[in-house]
Amino acid sequence: MARPAHPQAMQPVKPGRTRTAPPTMPPQFPMTGRYRAYTLFDATGFLYLFVGFVALRVVWALGTGSAAWASIQQQLANPLYIGFHVITLAAVCFVAVRFFGLFPKAQPPRIGPAKPPPGPVIVGMLYAAWIGITVLMSAALMGGIS
Amino acid sequence: MKQFLLKVEPVIWLLFGQGIMIGTMLLTGWVLVMGVLAPLGVVDSLSYEHAHGLASSLIGRVVLAALIALPLWKGAHHIRSLSIDFGGADRDTELATFLYGIAAVGSLLAIVAVVRL
Repeated sequence: MARPAHPQAMQPVKPGRTRTAPPTMPPQFPMTGRYRAYTLFDATGFLYLFVGFVALRVVWALGTGSAAWASIQQQLANPLYIGFHVITLAAVCFVAVRFFGLFPKAQPPRIGPAKPPPGPVIVGMLYAAWIGITVLMSAALMGGIS
Repeated sequence: MKQFLLKVEPVIWLLFGQGIMIGTMLLTGWVLVMGVLAPLGVVDSLSYEHAHGLASSLIGRVVLAALIALPLWKGAHHIRSLSIDFGGADRDTELATFLYGIAAVGSLLAIVAVVRL
């Protein structure tokens, strides 16, 4: 159902003479149709915020010493942490796929004399960078890079 | 505070955008190995000496700082956006200050964490 939006949503800086209807939220918001992906994309913010602090704990433990490093490894093996990371991994992949699809549409038609490459080329470059960085990071964390 | 938030909005958007782009690219391998495969025993965990050697290089420190800090800004900004969409525009200034404050403190701690490696 459509519901009233914030009364100041989309309000012009200076009130004009044109009368407008009060703003309402789209009827499909928040979890129907296209709004489901939109809302989930925003909701991944909770996971990103939390996983950033988990990574901070890991790096902090690494700087503290070998005992702290062993301790944090044990903590990460807790099923709650593993479950959280599995959900986060799915969220990260979702963000990547959605963002890479949106990225070409957000490019300006030209910057000075330069035009951006065609959309499929941009998407291809983004996926190549994502896969490359993921392979490098994984190899480093699995001991393949010293 | 609202005026201040408007002034620093370009910086926040820069960090938010890089949180989506670079944060996501860095997080995928990190979460996959450190959060899932190593804890499940699918791959061996890095020894302390190996991990410390990798992390304490210049590239390692920069990557780790970005991996920690950028997702915090992505998270903070998206939670703020979600709050506004769900009717929280009236308390937006307070929430934004709180969320960006968390992201800023986390970013400073990230820098400290990689400096002390």
